[in-house]
Amino acid sequence: MTDETPTGRDTSGRFVKRAVETVNAMSRTNDEGIHPMSKVLFGWTETKNIGAILFWVLAVLSIILVLADLVIDRHEYFNFAESVGFFGLWGFLSFSFVVLMGWPLGRLLRRDENYYGDAGGPPDDIDPGLEGKPLGGGHGPHGGEH
Amino acid sequence: MPAFLAGLNPGWLLIAAGLLALFVRGRVVRQVITIAAPILGILLVSGTPHGVDLLTHETLSITLSFYHVDSLSFLFGLAFLIAALLNAIYALHTDNRIQDGMALAYAGAAVSAVFSGDLLTLFVFWELTAVTSVFLILQAGTRAAYFASMRYLGVQILSGVLLLAGIAYVWNATGSLSITAFTSLDQPGALIIFIAFGIKAAFPFLHNWLQDSYPKASVVGAVVLSAFTTKLAVYAFARMFPGQDELIWIGAIMTVFPVFFAVIENDLRRVLAYSTNNQVGFMICAIGVGTPLALNGAVAHAFADILFKGLLFMSMGAVLYRTGTTKANELGGLYRTMPWTTLFCLIGAISISAMPLFSAFVTKSMILSAVASTGMIVVWLMLMFASAGVLEHSGIKIPYFAFFGHDSGKRVKEAPFNMLLAMGMASFLCIAIGLPAFLPGFGYEWLYSLLPYPIEAANYQPFTLGHILAQLQLLALAVFAFILLQRLGLYPPEKPGVILDTDWTYRKVGYGAVRWIDTVWARLGPAMTAIFRGFSGRTYDRLVDAFSPRGVLSRNPVSRGMAVWTAVILALVLLVSYLRG
Repeated sequence: MTDETPTGRDTSGRFVKRAVETVNAMSRTNDEGIHPMSKVLFGWTETKNIGAILFWVLAVLSIILVLADLVIDRHEYFNFAESVGFFGLWGFLSFSFVVLMGWPLGRLLRRDENYYGDAGGPPDDIDPGLEGKPLGGGHGPHGGEH
Repeated sequence: MPAFLAGLNPGWLLIAAGLLALFVRGRVVRQVITIAAPILGILLVSGTPHGVDLLTHETLSITLSFYHVDSLSFLFGLAFLIAALLNAIYALHTDNRIQDGMALAYAGAAVSAVFSGDLLTLFVFWELTAVTSVFLILQAGTRAAYFASMRYLGVQILSGVLLLAGIAYVWNATGSLSITAFTSLDQPGALIIFIAFGIKAAFPFLHNWLQDSYPKASVVGAVVLSAFTTKLAVYAFARMFPGQDELIWIGAIMTVFPVFFAVIENDLRRVLAYSTNNQVGFMICAIGVGTPLALNGAVAHAFADILFKGLLFMSMGAVLYRTGTTKANELGGLYRTMPWTTLFCLIGAISISAMPLFSAFVTKSMILSAVASTGMIVVWLMLMFASAGVLEHSGIKIPYFAFFGHDSGKRVKEAPFNMLLAMGMASFLCIAIGLPAFLPGFGYEWLYSLLPYPIEAANYQPFTLGHILAQLQLLALAVFAFILLQRLGLYPPEKPGVILDTDWTYRKVGYGAVRWIDTVWARLGPAMTAIFRGFSGRTYDRLVDAFSPRGVLSRNPVSRGMAVWTAVILALVLLVSYLRG
């Protein structure tokens, strides 16, 4: 955007510093509302097959870390914790157990959002410019108690 | 420092500034107050001598100590003041006198409580935290928030009343109100005070006020709430119950059970409330162990937690502010439009997951080493399990479902600049205290040098190859498990709904029972009145029928004769007495 303009002038002809303009551009969203910094910071997440890439990267990393146990001598208070890959195994099993328990626990404990009689809504201090936000926030039909 | 400032409790300064802010209509003036007060507070407390009663007052032969700083209370006070500053910056986009004033007064009450030198002063500020913080929930302005705030207030006041009752026992038994550690729960008042603290620390079964109220608070309110109440309770336990064995198991259970609720919870601010439970569990467990290393770990972890939990609440607050929701099933893909918020949230998430070079790594490893040194295998395994659990709900679930994952199609604006500034400052601190000491006295060494046992802290090395490898293994394979389960379709989808917890007992069973008693009474009351009326009416009628002038007894001829004869006998008795007399 600044490349076409003569040095030191912005599109409306005012003199500006190029750095300031760059900073401005980096905080201005494009027509689809995409923030330019998102490409810089997280553009890599849109890579094709990112799921598979991450899977293999972590698989290799995990293997390396477990194998490192053979080389590095850890000193633990408990003997069993010194065995090769103990922390990795414990982390993997704990994580999987927690996530898999989500299925039966969800079925057991999840109820309708209105179970306690009032599902609530967003608080009053959300973005006033938010689309679909009722005028006056929660002070409409419900706000009479205080 | 001038003499008149040396005795000025920064907590009192914040309370006074908060009360002032309530009445200042000019937004800019109020904002200057809310930011200047914590900065001044930090300067004041930094120059305060330790171990001295700086402000005392004698009344009714009780010596009250209003300002007493020592190595245990200093870091809590400092963390509270830093949190107050970050919260004030985070709230700059709002114009709400009550919220600004009460947030500052709440922080001030928490600071005053940790710097109080006697039990009665502690009680007063303990209660003040409850009374000031409830406004932060009320400011959400929804009906659900109103009811939640009333439940919250009830629970918090109960904690205060129990504390006062315990203090009365202590006063009765010892004649002193000094804050001294209990050695056993059998001591007079110890158990009551233990429960009072336990309510604020959100012990298992006493924890639901937290998940009930924080997620219903306003955007700014939840951030403010996350810093103070539970950590004040952690301070109180460290002060009065160090080495209490019961705390080891209570803490261990606290780290484990919220993990299961967090995985199925849909509201991401509620997930963070469970995460608070889980982190406080680590601190409580360490206080139960009670060795210098463990207490150092508890205090350091409280300091780190105030920062990274505040940061996570801030990032979810920013999401709520821009999208109007924190429900995981309605979010996703926000990194496209909120990249800075995403980055700061990830820093908070990595910090809480105890990744090497981030804050929780240098604080939690002290706790884990201390627990391991006691030889309690089961407790240690529970804490390791909970560490993987933290990674699940706070490390992955929060950022993944809000900012990545399934694209919700929401294209909202990036958070306001002041929010980003507060998050950036919190992120900086999370990294700064987690770094190795490249320069002596910086990085984690700065935090360690301020701990209650600085010599033991200086001897502890968090950055050993063994520690780093163990933690990296745990985290890498846990993340690998996440990706594997996602790819296999075994990760439970986020569904809207309410997750039942122990608050079901009072919100459903208890409330239902009260409603039932109310209904029954509404019918039984009039029925009982009617029965009593009928009974008493009939009795009266019977009496009238029998004894009134027109009653049965009067109508009978024998009765009439009886009256005459009674009169005659009375006359005779009088006559005889007169003649004899």
